Amino acid sequence: MKLLHRYNRLNILVTIIVLFIGGVCYYFILSYVLIKQLDKDLRLEELEVKDFVRINKTLPPAANYKDQQMTYKPVGDAVTARKFSSITVFDSSENEVEPIRRLVFPLTVGSTNYVVSVTKSRQETEDLVRLIVILTVSIIALLLLALFMINRFVLSKLWLPFNKTLAGLKQFNLNSNAVIEHSDTTITEFKELNDAVSKMSERVVNDYNSLKAFTENASHEIQTPLAVVNSKLELLIQAENFTEQQMQDIQTIHDEINRLSKLNQSLLLLTKIDNDQFRETSQVDLAQIINRLLNNYEELLSAKQITLIKNITRHTVLLMNETMAQVLISNLVTNSIKHNTDGGSITISLMQNCLTVSNTGEALINPPEKLFERFKKDKVNAESLGLGLSIVKKICDRYHFTINYSYKEGQHILSVLFP
Amino acid sequence: MHYKTGFTIYELTSGLLQNSFRILLQICCVKILIIEDEKALSDSIAKYLRGQDYLCEIAADFNTAMEKTELYDYDCILLDITIPGGSGLAVLKELRTNNKQDGVLIISAKNSIDDKVNGLMLGADDYLSKPFHLSELNARVAAIIRRKQFGGSSIIQFNNITIDTQAKSVNISNKPLDLTKKEFELLLYFVNNKKKVISRTAIAEHLWGDELEGNLDFIYTHIKNLRKKLLETGNADYIKSVYGMGYKFTDR
Repeated sequence: MKLLHRYNRLNILVTIIVLFIGGVCYYFILSYVLIKQLDKDLRLEELEVKDFVRINKTLPPAANYKDQQMTYKPVGDAVTARKFSSITVFDSSENEVEPIRRLVFPLTVGSTNYVVSVTKSRQETEDLVRLIVILTVSIIALLLLALFMINRFVLSKLWLPFNKTLAGLKQFNLNSNAVIEHSDTTITEFKELNDAVSKMSERVVNDYNSLKAFTENASHEIQTPLAVVNSKLELLIQAENFTEQQMQDIQTIHDEINRLSKLNQSLLLLTKIDNDQFRETSQVDLAQIINRLLNNYEELLSAKQITLIKNITRHTVLLMNETMAQVLISNLVTNSIKHNTDGGSITISLMQNCLTVSNTGEALINPPEKLFERFKKDKVNAESLGLGLSIVKKICDRYHFTINYSYKEGQHILSVLFP
Repeated sequence: MHYKTGFTIYELTSGLLQNSFRILLQICCVKILIIEDEKALSDSIAKYLRGQDYLCEIAADFNTAMEKTELYDYDCILLDITIPGGSGLAVLKELRTNNKQDGVLIISAKNSIDDKVNGLMLGADDYLSKPFHLSELNARVAAIIRRKQFGGSSIIQFNNITIDTQAKSVNISNKPLDLTKKEFELLLYFVNNKKKVISRTAIAEHLWGDELEGNLDFIYTHIKNLRKKLLETGNADYIKSVYGMGYKFTDR
């Protein structure tokens, strides 16, 4: 729920409750005040009648107006109490029910006891109350509406710097090195937020850059000792006066040094992709790369007795870095060779917007999501470093390709969808 | 300082001999300059290349490198980009500005495309990133020297085997030998690294690039085929397998 909505909801709920209770109270108070006014008028009438009787010793003529009626009713000895009441009567002339206020009081003229009843129409009072209430409620409703609009438009405008910062945070990419954009604001809270975000992103970018630089430098520094060890080993094997066991040990050292150096190179490659060091792009013909690569691996395939099924119908041309395209395809293909079974098959199909490489092989033990993680090897396999597919994933991410893995009928299927 | 006032006959003759030997070497030998600050590595390279009868000199810093490249002509210069005192690329630039045609092979720890492109644009002949196999380095050096020294001659001879690197053909005692592309490259690699033990990894990387990892048993099949073809022509078995390690191409 949006902050604004939540605030509005609470605001409206409370306002409605307050308005309702307030309105009811307002109505009653207003009615009470106006009835008191009517009662005052009625009391005035009573005084007038009593004065008239005292002076004239007779009842005044019952003057009946539209909104004021007076009746005298002779009563016996019965004592009637003085009483105000609000009642409704049926007005036959207007054929409607009319609310009235009545004052009944006893009056003695000579020896005759009367009950005098003075009534005044409450219609006008009620109309007035209604009008006032309607007016007031309308004004408050208008005010509410205005408030709502202010919340809606002004607040969302006020939140603009926040939204911009948020958008910046969402788009924040460590690799792009771009700072988080935020608009200038005079609001303290947003200023603080922006400052905090800027400082944080700066720190994160710096940390990340130094980490990247460290990885790259470390990899570079490792290359030289590796080159020395490698060269010394190659000189060593020229001596040839070793026992078989010694020779085998040297071979193992040699192989492991090689592995280390390949591992190092793969890590360097990953770092370089991270650092976006392959910026130059050109029109790359994927079919050409695939064919060249497959030609190169011909002997390898026949040694493992792998059947190759090529299904390249189109010359898909992508705008990307050529080295990246080569690495992508070569990793996919070598992966399909490495994890194949002897006498298995590889199917490579290239469509307009999709490259699929599938190969026979046993089902994965690890969940497929782990496939693209670094050093996630499904089984102990000396042939694999565990970096090939993470490099593939990295390249795909870099170019916004989608890569999918599925296992169907004994086939590992890796497909890359081009946007 | 101690100054010599006279020469013994021995010193005189040995000095003369050394000088004439040097002149002789300069005439018939291929001269290589290794510009590399890592002594252990340059020593290894020098040792391996000397085994191929190349004359090797080493420059470990920028100034020595500039001095040597200015004074002498080399058939091939192995150039490290990061050397103390300056950049290897500056040495290359200076070389080409002075219109010197020494072959240049860049060996760099930075396997970066930029360095590669820059180096080749400045007139380097080839680029090899560290770590490398000495046999691979040797093959690349051989290719550069062949292009430079013999006026673009593309013929390599080993006993009765004649390899034409341009036409990619092999003749044995003037009879053509039918080889696949990979077999041809393998033979060329062997001949370039003759009498040296070459590891299987080096062979695999030379022929199939360095994407391959792990099991290299398939190379065996490949070498067996080449050996069979060579034996069928009546040659001695030049390809000796060195147990546990790799192969050696030798007539001894």
